[in-house]
Amino acid sequence: MLFSRISLLLLSFILVPTVCAQTFTFTAIPDENESQLQTRFNKVARYLEQELGVDVKYVPVKSYAAAVTAFRNNQVQLAWFGGLSGVQARRLVPGSDAIAQGYEDQFFKSFFIAHHSVELVASSNFPNLNGYTFTFGSKGSTSGRLMPQFFIERNIGKQAKEIFSRIGFSGDHSRTIAQVEAGAYQIGAVNYKVWESAVEKGLVDTSKVRVIWETPAYPDYQWTVRHGVEQTFGSGFEAKLKAALLNMKDPELLASFPRLSFVEAENQDYEPIESVAIAIGLLD
Amino acid sequence: MLRLEALTLSYGDRKVIKDLSLSIEQGEKVAIVGASGVGKSTLLAHIYTQLNSQAAYCAQSQGLVDALSVFHNVYMGALARHHFGYNLLNLIRPQTHRINEVSELCSALLLDVALNKTVSELSGGQRQRVALARALYQQQSTFIGDESFSSLDPVMAQQLIAQVLSRHPTVIMVLHDCQMALNYFDRIVGLQDGEIALDAPSQILQPEHLIAFFDRKVGSVSDNGG
Amino acid sequence: MGDKVRFFGPWQRLTAQLWLLALVALLFADIEVISVDPWAELSRLALGVISPDFFATEFLLSALWQTVNFALLGVAFGIVLGGPLALVYQHPFVAASCAMVRGVHELFWALLFLQIFGLSPLTGILAIGLPYGATFARVFHDILAQSPSTTERGLPFNTDPLSRYVYGRLGHVYPLMLAYIRYRFECALRSSAVLGFIGMPTLGFYLETAFRQGQYSEGAALLMLFILLIGTISLWAKKNLIPVYLLAALWTIPDIGIIDGGLLWRFVFYDLLPPGIQGVIYTQMELSDGLNQFYQWLASITINQALPGVFATVILALSALGLSHLVALIAHLVASQHSGSKYRAVAGQLGLLVLRSIPEYILAFVLMLLIGPSMLPAIIALALHNGALIAFLLVKQEQGITPSATYKKRADFFAYEILTRVYPNLMGLLFYRFEVMLRETAIFGILGVATIGFYIDSAFAEIRYSNALYLLAVTALLNVVIDFSARKLVARQVEDSIAHGRSCIT
Repeated sequence: MLFSRISLLLLSFILVPTVCAQTFTFTAIPDENESQLQTRFNKVARYLEQELGVDVKYVPVKSYAAAVTAFRNNQVQLAWFGGLSGVQARRLVPGSDAIAQGYEDQFFKSFFIAHHSVELVASSNFPNLNGYTFTFGSKGSTSGRLMPQFFIERNIGKQAKEIFSRIGFSGDHSRTIAQVEAGAYQIGAVNYKVWESAVEKGLVDTSKVRVIWETPAYPDYQWTVRHGVEQTFGSGFEAKLKAALLNMKDPELLASFPRLSFVEAENQDYEPIESVAIAIGLLD
Repeated sequence: MLRLEALTLSYGDRKVIKDLSLSIEQGEKVAIVGASGVGKSTLLAHIYTQLNSQAAYCAQSQGLVDALSVFHNVYMGALARHHFGYNLLNLIRPQTHRINEVSELCSALLLDVALNKTVSELSGGQRQRVALARALYQQQSTFIGDESFSSLDPVMAQQLIAQVLSRHPTVIMVLHDCQMALNYFDRIVGLQDGEIALDAPSQILQPEHLIAFFDRKVGSVSDNGG
Repeated sequence: MGDKVRFFGPWQRLTAQLWLLALVALLFADIEVISVDPWAELSRLALGVISPDFFATEFLLSALWQTVNFALLGVAFGIVLGGPLALVYQHPFVAASCAMVRGVHELFWALLFLQIFGLSPLTGILAIGLPYGATFARVFHDILAQSPSTTERGLPFNTDPLSRYVYGRLGHVYPLMLAYIRYRFECALRSSAVLGFIGMPTLGFYLETAFRQGQYSEGAALLMLFILLIGTISLWAKKNLIPVYLLAALWTIPDIGIIDGGLLWRFVFYDLLPPGIQGVIYTQMELSDGLNQFYQWLASITINQALPGVFATVILALSALGLSHLVALIAHLVASQHSGSKYRAVAGQLGLLVLRSIPEYILAFVLMLLIGPSMLPAIIALALHNGALIAFLLVKQEQGITPSATYKKRADFFAYEILTRVYPNLMGLLFYRFEVMLRETAIFGILGVATIGFYIDSAFAEIRYSNALYLLAVTALLNVVIDFSARKLVARQVEDSIAHGRSCIT
């Protein structure tokens, strides 16, 4: 009995009609506040649907790697990527384009934050991090891992694992703040926007943890559209999509990312990210 | 029908049956008697392997499946008669026709329990009758039984043995009841120390001839040794 | 010597060996306590627990329902797969293959399938079903081996093999198998929730986000619902309703989507090929250059990731094994109906439910705030979870024990009359759970403890699938080696069935 049900299930895989490929699907992971993800981004989907005249669907994912995989496998045709994941995705699907970035992403930065017991003072000079414990954010994050690791290794001239007595990956910017505040790690690297909004909301005890250094500016999040959408959705689709993104003015929609607005972007804006990733061995 | 010549059976180093010769013809009713440990069960099991497809075997260990119902345990006697698909069907949903057959057989064996009861819930005497019912349900021409009545009271035992004898032309049975052996069987084989010490028609035997082949008082009801 | 009366039996010896192993492992483990002031975060956490917000999560009911769906379909698939395999499990090749499949955590199976099926529910169902099938194969085989042969011997001579097998063997042990399936269903609910961590639409999807981002009111609410779901299994998972649930699951599971054979092909014949080999096949790379690059890659990943990862994994799992023994003993004493008042037993059993239901990930997460990011939170989380699970199974087992007339509900009586009876089972469960602990270390890898799971997670994050595959293969082989040697060790000490896992089921 069980077996027949399973084979029914397997059969249904084969019989699913391929027409649903016509739906334009996108994914996005905001750099803070992932609550009510689906509800918030469904509104973005409705907006795009209106502007583009095709069915638009939002698919929630849990990680940058999952977003890249979905993009590569054509399960999504548009994604709101971090700097690094966008580079990864465009390398895997040649011909894909970065078409828009957040206003803030033109000059993004990371903060290094330290527990109050650490005797380092805030400075524009690169701090001497030797011997401390340190946590990055998520392994695939640009602001939580890639750029901080790059600046650390370039400034100190050693590999990160030789500098710190312990290295962690908290998995998330809010985690990084919590762990440094609790003293579990002495120093951490965090997305500046997440830090600022956490301080604003009173979620950080600034007597326990403070910013000691900020990185130079670098480009980060961007919208990347998959190669081949013109064949599926008609020529001129990419331009229409770009216009729709750049014209997104509703503050409620923009708050989901959260960005002030979207501005133009192109692939070569992210060349610095790619070379940094190669430099620290995250890309070959 | 059965011819054993110079048969020797051993358990490891110990010889249980020594150089034993025995032949049994179709239609004979043979009782095998002997004290505990003389090799009766071993001999019987061997006889079953010789007769296999013609015989139903009701072993002392019963081989009941505790987790299954009375019906299923009895039905197992019919497994060889049916296609495996039918057997599986009966496992999931017993067929009315088979239920009736099993039910009839159980009442003939004075087994008055619900057929859907699991055997783990039954008493020793009831379990023995379920095992017996399974053997009868095989519907073979030869019945091989190993103390199939040991947990039953003598009156019931006599009624059941009549059932067994009426349903099978040939019966080979290990018994622990002297009177029963003399009353119901044509031929008595007595084992001593793995050898045949007595082989005679029952008409010419008296209870005192058999004393040596029983552990206790002649006619004692139960003995689970052997 | 020969005259001396010895009281140091096999159980004592096995216990001593277990502790020796655990202590040696602890010597090598990183168990530094680091955290300085966790109280701000912990008070936020506590506030969340006392003010759970059940309305913060979108699609909550759907998430609950999908948690059940994935568990049901995963177990069903596992049975279909493991049932027949159990019949041929005695073959060393089958046993080794199953041990390899079991050795890889559901999360990693899911990450693999994610590359082929994307976020299709198939990913989740296979990720549960495959390792569960391998487990069913082993346990069903062990259970069948206990089935007495007396029935088969007495069956009519010409009985066909299938009927002989079903009536003569299966008939004896199917209640044990059903009990085991029930138990695995509870495990599957946990697995199903955990698969949410990587994107399946189950409770874990929201649970992980809530805890990761510090939304503790939402997290606490989700956790409570999850514990409730597991605690009430016997109320809603009635035997007769299972087919209904299964059918409902087939109807309500999210769209499977399109299965693209090309993706499978590309994944297996391109992505999984290690550097060098890939170059030789797909580009103009010279064979010697390719082999050289392959060798460089292999040496580097083995020395820098596989070996340290395996070492940390084994150290972590062994330390957790010793501590689990302790936790199981204490938790069993607290929650047993034979050791204290009825109220204490009920409270204790509630505690066991909470500890065994909370995913280790969440436990370790909280502990990490408390005592810092060493291996210690992971060791404690593993021990609490597994100890509580073992204690729960023991409490269930001892319901059938009637103590002597002079019994008093005191620790000494308890030790003499109850503990001695369940102790073989405790040890059996513990050794059986060791394999599980080894696998669960993967989850702490994702939290940052440098087990082999850490490197596998990194390989997936960096989209280096050949690295992931190699490390997964190492994990799987490790499980085969440990499975084999654990059976040897236990079998040499205690001759009866514990090596075969009998006591793990009842």
